Amino acid sequence: MATLRVRVVNSEELVFEGEASSVVAPGCDGMVGILPSHAPMITLLGMGKLSVDRASGGAEEYDVVGGVLKVDKNQVTILTEEYSGIDLAPVGNPLV
Amino acid sequence: MAGARDVKRRIKSVENTRQITRTMELVATSKLKRATDRVSSARPYAEALADTVKSLYAPELAERYPLLRQPERSRRAAVLLLTANRGLAGGFNTNLIKEARRVLQELRSQGIETELHVVGRKGIAFFRFRREPMETMRTDVGDNPTPEDAESIVSPLRRKFEEGGLDAVYLISSQFRSAMSAPPGSRRILPVPVPEQTTPADGFILSPSGPVILERLLAPFVRNQVFTALVENMAAEQGARRTAMKNATDNAGDILEILTRSYNRARQGQITQEIAEIVGGAAALE
Repeated sequence: MATLRVRVVNSEELVFEGEASSVVAPGCDGMVGILPSHAPMITLLGMGKLSVDRASGGAEEYDVVGGVLKVDKNQVTILTEEYSGIDLAPVGNPLV
Repeated sequence: MAGARDVKRRIKSVENTRQITRTMELVATSKLKRATDRVSSARPYAEALADTVKSLYAPELAERYPLLRQPERSRRAAVLLLTANRGLAGGFNTNLIKEARRVLQELRSQGIETELHVVGRKGIAFFRFRREPMETMRTDVGDNPTPEDAESIVSPLRRKFEEGGLDAVYLISSQFRSAMSAPPGSRRILPVPVPEQTTPADGFILSPSGPVILERLLAPFVRNQVFTALVENMAAEQGARRTAMKNATDNAGDILEILTRSYNRARQGQITQEIAEIVGGAAALE
């Protein structure tokens, strides 16, 4: 079965990189589910939970606030400003 | 005896100096390691962001978004100089200041008004001494620059540019190639430079729409350039300090060798003299 190559990055580091069977991301106008062979797409992200179902089993979950998601040839790149564990209130995220 | 004692004292002092420079070298080495890690872990985001901007950019958008506005004539430009808070890093700060002065000179010779924004104690001290007015002075960026630092540095400039108060913003910082090579460089961060080659996102589903995505990414793009520069500058500073301190430690070693030789010579001379005196004294008794 085809898998997705997923990278989650924020401005300071590479948060996650690996193979996944599916990705569910909070798009700017609703949740976006991505399976292998998805059409090429670039979309803005809103606020919510990003979950990456690993190909090897198990899932990663991140809280994201804004950012952008790009799918191209089973390569999913998620640029996000913040992820779980960071208090967003004082930052005033420009992407929101 | 006096000669030998003086030399002995100098040896002690050079040894102390060497101890200090060696410690600074070690500290810089460990900080450099961490700083280069940060440089490389910040790279994927910068690359992916630049890539996305490249695929969404279209020349006709330049008129719609203030951050892409390419003024026909520049009247006023800002120069943002990043220096270190601390010295003893060889030519690191001096080179950056030199580059800033070159850029300022060049802009002024084109009849462009300039304003200077300086980050780091060393740059501020220099321009204060020269009595050059600085628009903003920041010394609060620590060893681990954060994206928030970058945002707080660049957002006033970005706002001023959007409002038309500035026609260009230049960033001067060290480009970190390796620990040995980090030349100072300048680049224009505003208006956002036109990508050299665009890779149009043909056939992509764009949600909500290309221009809207691009608009949302421009501010983070500008901020990320400053953030990357802060991170690279920190790595370059530590690299420069390590090199400078390594040279100082090596030089101290050389000086010690010379001093030890002259100390031994003085000591030997003294012993020889004492023997001569004893022999002379014994001879006089016979």
